[in-house]
Amino acid sequence: MSEVKVTKRERNVIINPLVTCQPLGAMFAVAGISRGLPLVHGSQGCSTFVRYGFSRHFREPSEIAVTSLHEDAAVFGGRRNLISGLGNLASRFTPDLIGVVTTCSSEIIGDDVDGFIKTARQEIKESLGENAAEKIKIVAINTPSFVEHHYRGYDNAIKAMVDQVALEPANGNDKLNIIPGIVNPGDIREIKHILNMMGQESIMLTDTSDPFDSPLRPGSTQFKPYYPKGGTPVQELEDCSNSSGTISLCNYGAQAAGVLERKYKVPSTIGPFPIGLQNTDQFLRNVKKFSDAEITDELLDERGLLVDSMADITSRYLFGKTAAIYGDPDMVTGIAGFVCELGMTPQLVCTGVENQEFVDDMKEVSKKADGKVEIMYGHDLRSMEVRLEEEPTDIIIGHSDGRLIARDLDIPLVRVGFPVYDRVGYHRVPIVGYRGGINLLDRITNTVLEEYYDPVHWKLQQ
Amino acid sequence: MAKEQHKKVDTTKNGENGRILEFSPLPDKVIDTLKSREKHRCFKKEGKQSAPDCNKSSIPGAVTQRSCVYGGARVVLMPITDAVHLVHGPIGCASCTWDIRGSLSSSSKLYKTGFSTNLQEKDIVFGGETKLMDILLEINRLYHPPAIFVYATCVVGIIGDDLKKVCELAQEKTSTRIIPVQSEGFRSFNKSLGHQLAGDALLDYLIGTSTKASPNHPFTLNIVGEFNVAGDLWGIKPLLEKMGIHVLSTLTGDSRVEDISRSHQAHLNIVQCQKSSNYIARQMEKKYDIPYLKVNFFGIEDTVSSLQSIAQFFNNPEMLKKTEQLIKEEINRLEDAIKPYHRILKGKKVAVYVGGNKAWSLVRAFEELGMEVIMTGTQNGLPEDYQKIRDTVQEGTLIVDDAPVRELYHLLKKYKPDLVISGAKEKYMALKMGIPFCEFNHDRITSFSGFQGYINFAKNLDQAVSSPVWNYTKKKLKNGINEFNGAKNAKI
Repeated sequence: MSEVKVTKRERNVIINPLVTCQPLGAMFAVAGISRGLPLVHGSQGCSTFVRYGFSRHFREPSEIAVTSLHEDAAVFGGRRNLISGLGNLASRFTPDLIGVVTTCSSEIIGDDVDGFIKTARQEIKESLGENAAEKIKIVAINTPSFVEHHYRGYDNAIKAMVDQVALEPANGNDKLNIIPGIVNPGDIREIKHILNMMGQESIMLTDTSDPFDSPLRPGSTQFKPYYPKGGTPVQELEDCSNSSGTISLCNYGAQAAGVLERKYKVPSTIGPFPIGLQNTDQFLRNVKKFSDAEITDELLDERGLLVDSMADITSRYLFGKTAAIYGDPDMVTGIAGFVCELGMTPQLVCTGVENQEFVDDMKEVSKKADGKVEIMYGHDLRSMEVRLEEEPTDIIIGHSDGRLIARDLDIPLVRVGFPVYDRVGYHRVPIVGYRGGINLLDRITNTVLEEYYDPVHWKLQQ
Repeated sequence: MAKEQHKKVDTTKNGENGRILEFSPLPDKVIDTLKSREKHRCFKKEGKQSAPDCNKSSIPGAVTQRSCVYGGARVVLMPITDAVHLVHGPIGCASCTWDIRGSLSSSSKLYKTGFSTNLQEKDIVFGGETKLMDILLEINRLYHPPAIFVYATCVVGIIGDDLKKVCELAQEKTSTRIIPVQSEGFRSFNKSLGHQLAGDALLDYLIGTSTKASPNHPFTLNIVGEFNVAGDLWGIKPLLEKMGIHVLSTLTGDSRVEDISRSHQAHLNIVQCQKSSNYIARQMEKKYDIPYLKVNFFGIEDTVSSLQSIAQFFNNPEMLKKTEQLIKEEINRLEDAIKPYHRILKGKKVAVYVGGNKAWSLVRAFEELGMEVIMTGTQNGLPEDYQKIRDTVQEGTLIVDDAPVRELYHLLKKYKPDLVISGAKEKYMALKMGIPFCEFNHDRITSFSGFQGYINFAKNLDQAVSSPVWNYTKKKLKNGINEFNGAKNAKI
């Protein structure tokens, strides 16, 4: 039985942040809509730095428009900028959906975004004609940067899109809505693979897999304007009220599931983020809860392959090893659970998000752990670094922003999550599901081998 | 309207000087886009004042390549290695920019630490001044830094925190330098203002504050506007030292607070990034009577002439001799190393789209390799910048201001460069179109400055254009089977 300690940041200043502000999450969510464009209502930096961040992680173009608020807008309001921005975007990009993402400045100025959108719709109708204007959905997404973090921004965006675009339910479509969270293309593809094996159709809210990992085929790519293949079609967004259920894999951002349940009576279940054996098992059970989908023999074989790898590897190399895990809350709880399944101890888990549910979930996970577990929430990377200086772990699991901590403390880093910019391929390789579990297991084990096993006597180790 | 004849004259080192290479008509219009954007592009034509319209606010709803004023200030000051850079605003402004520049340090790593006041809803309502004060005292207690730069973001401008006052009070309490940077993001569409505000912060609060005397050296200078991205500074500094010059400080690459505080004692300022840093040099001339020279250490010719003009400034016979000796040695070493790249790169067409300085400072470097710059442009150019571009580029070169993504796509598609030089945001679009790309921005990992940098530069360009992957992307794929016939020059 493990001993659990919970701490919250006591410092005022944030040093090496683990979270960013709401608009980033909203831009990510809108990028998962087919021919969807985020329009950031704020300063140019608000879109530019996020585009830079996405490009750096996914190594893909990232199209995010901005209303370019300047000093006059700060004084007189951003009315003109937003209305003409929407008009320009509609006529030049003919998107299927525009997500208007607010920022700190537009929220404080108090711009009436809903009102401006109404006016803009009218103007677009006049310039493009009724039919063309009808095809462009405009969604207002409130993401004040001074409230919470990117995670809430993602949550708010999915909620806003479902709330404003989903149609009144008509006929059931036997599909499942999935809210994947801020995850990599590889992870979304793995979820789709699992559902596919179960013969279960789904609607991803939203599907960032192809938009953020698209082929280089100049001859068949749409450049004018650039729209990557894939993404959730607006029709599916409209249709999600007809689904038989919603599964939010995103533990701490499931408002959209609530909207669908309250408004359209679509039942929902929240979590777990399917990392590791038991979480994936639970995901499959959740799928079965809403449908008569079958857990096929092939899927059980995939599970068996993961268990087989665990049997091959864990007791020899991983058992008793300790890990520090940091990043987004659902990723952290998911990985902490998996690490316990491998016989390791998640000695230190750290997230920048201040969320009691995270603490409760981690306490639950800690029951599976063998040693003591320290839960840090509302913290930053510097806090984690200080704790690791005092009590080092065998490995660290998290994104690239922790690379210098790993180097300075000489603890190997297993890279996962967002952003990973100092290695390649991590956005493609899934860590969810049974197959993702094998990937993550291999990644962790190879890191341990590299650091802790002597290559000279390799043969003896086998 | 009759199309003007477009003469292209080969003036490169290894070409036959003055030979007219080609006649091709310049199109009437650069590309078709919004009317308001047309004036932002032009060809350089003989006898005409060919500079694009610039320094205008971007069209709302564009996918702009521009950044904010805060971003402009941040990149100028970020390379000061032993200072704390505290962002007063919501968390995102710090999260997205905390480690944004590949500026290297030879000592402190403090500048790579991200500090934020993380303004929350209640701070927006009641003001963030108290929180800022607490945090400044806290940082001072934790790190004892020689200086804390405090950056204002959009929010601070709107809620009206008195940054200066808080910094002043905190400075009294801590007796460390606490420097306000009034870089509210929305203050301008052009981040150049941020460069200037960063300069103001240095001029008002740091330069000239040291009481220590500088070393008694007859030839001292500051390198202004060199940010040591990928170690560029380290390609320049040794050359100056070999000439017998003492580099007093760099503004701001690999710099320390103390060095900058006594930079006013130098005999000369040399300015590398003339986009961000002419302002600082001009002000230092006014305030401290330090003359400045504009230099450029990208490309051989410009490196040579920069070194020569510095030597001429000091006008010391021994230094002049040493400089010529140094140049001779370096060029000898270079020539053989460069030859193979010259063969590969000769005749290749380049499109440059960058933040500023590189839009003109790179042009000669490409030409020296026998390459042709067919397009150059910037996101934030001012009229003086386009003047410099105009003076540098060949006839017929396309000059572009503030092109959003869609426009860049049209330009690349129509003018078909063999290579694009830009930053991370443009990189993946160019690659997706099948056009080789070479990074020349904050993310660069190879030094391109000075003589060795020029070899690195040529090598990088070779790597970009010669990668075998470009054999597999050019043609339209007709059917599934042909996709696998990836052999060189295969007809697919």
